[in-house]
Amino acid sequence: MRLSIYRFNPESDLKPHMQDYELAPEADDKKLLDALMRLKTIDDSLSFRRSCREGVCGSDAMNINGRNGLACLTPLAGLKEPVVLRPLPGFPVIRDLIVDMTQFFAHYHSIKPYLINDTAPPERERLQSPAEREKLNGLYECILCACCSSFCPSFWWNPDKFIGPAGLLQAYRFISDSRDTATAERLAYLDDVYRLFRCRTIMNCTEVCPKGLSPSHAIERIRQALVRESS
Amino acid sequence: MRLFLGQRAWVLQRLTALVQLFLLALGAATLLIAPPLAYERWYALATSTHGAVLIVVFFATLALHGWIGVRDIALDYVHPPFLRLAVLTVVGVILFAIVIRVVLTMAAHFAGGA
Repeated sequence: MRLSIYRFNPESDLKPHMQDYELAPEADDKKLLDALMRLKTIDDSLSFRRSCREGVCGSDAMNINGRNGLACLTPLAGLKEPVVLRPLPGFPVIRDLIVDMTQFFAHYHSIKPYLINDTAPPERERLQSPAEREKLNGLYECILCACCSSFCPSFWWNPDKFIGPAGLLQAYRFISDSRDTATAERLAYLDDVYRLFRCRTIMNCTEVCPKGLSPSHAIERIRQALVRESS
Repeated sequence: MRLFLGQRAWVLQRLTALVQLFLLALGAATLLIAPPLAYERWYALATSTHGAVLIVVFFATLALHGWIGVRDIALDYVHPPFLRLAVLTVVGVILFAIVIRVVLTMAAHFAGGA
C-alpha cells in the first residue's frame, strides 16, 4: 500500500513536507495503526502517538485522507491510496503526527470536569435513578481524542477562547448529572460570547467522532438549559 | 454591550428570525389570497396603519438580526480589535440608517395624510 505522511522535525526541518512510503501489509495488519507500527520498523524516525490500540485511549487521533479519526479504529481495507496522513488540523505540530494538546486540555479543565456537590456525602454513595443515569449515556464515553475539536472551524478561528465540542460535551456531561449541584455556576461560566456561543452548528464534530457521540447535540442542550435557567 | 453577549444575542437572533418568518408568511399569504395587482392597492396596503407598523417591525428585526450575524462573522474572522470595532460600527450605522429611513418615510406619509 502507498502512504503519504506529513513529516516535520523541529530540530532539522524549516518547513514540513509530505513523505511517500510503500508498504506491504501482512495478514495480521487489519487497522491503519498496524500499518503505522510496521512502518515504524522501517523508518524509526516517524513519530506518532499510540497506546491502547483499541479506541479507548484516544492517543492516535490524526487526519486520515482529509478526515479526522483514530488510526486504531480505521480499517486498512477500503482506504483510498495513497493514504494521506496529517496531524490533527488546527493544533500546533510538535513533530510529524504529534500535536500539542495543551490548549485543548486547558479548555477541558476550565469546565471543571468533576462532580461538584457540597452536601454531606451519604454513607455509601450518591444514588441515581435509572432515568437519571440514562442521561449520561452518549456523554461519558468521550475519550478526549480531540477529533471533534480539531475538525471544528469555530475552534480553528478561536482556539484560545472557544471551548470546543469536546470540552462542551464534557461540560454537558456534568450539567446533566443529577448528583452535581453546580449547574448554575457551570451554565454561568458557559454563557459567554466565545466559550459556548462560537458554535455555528456546523456539526463536523458529530460527523467525525470515532465513538459515535454527538457534541453538537450536547451543545444544543446546554443552550436550552441556559434559556430555562434564565426564564 | 452586555445586551449582545452570550445567550442574549443568540436568543435575540432567533426571536427576530421568528418574527421575520411570520411576517414573510403573512406577506406571502396576502399575495396568494388577495394579490394587490395595481399600484394603488400596493400603496394602500403599505400605508395602512397595520401595514406601516409591520414594515417598520420587519426592517427593525431584519437590522438587528443582520447585525448580530455580522458580529458573529466578525468575532470569527476579524481579530484585530480596532478593525472589528470599525466593521461593526459601519455595518451598525448602515443598518440603523436603513431603519430610520423606513420610519421617516412612514412618518412622512402619515404626517402628510393627517
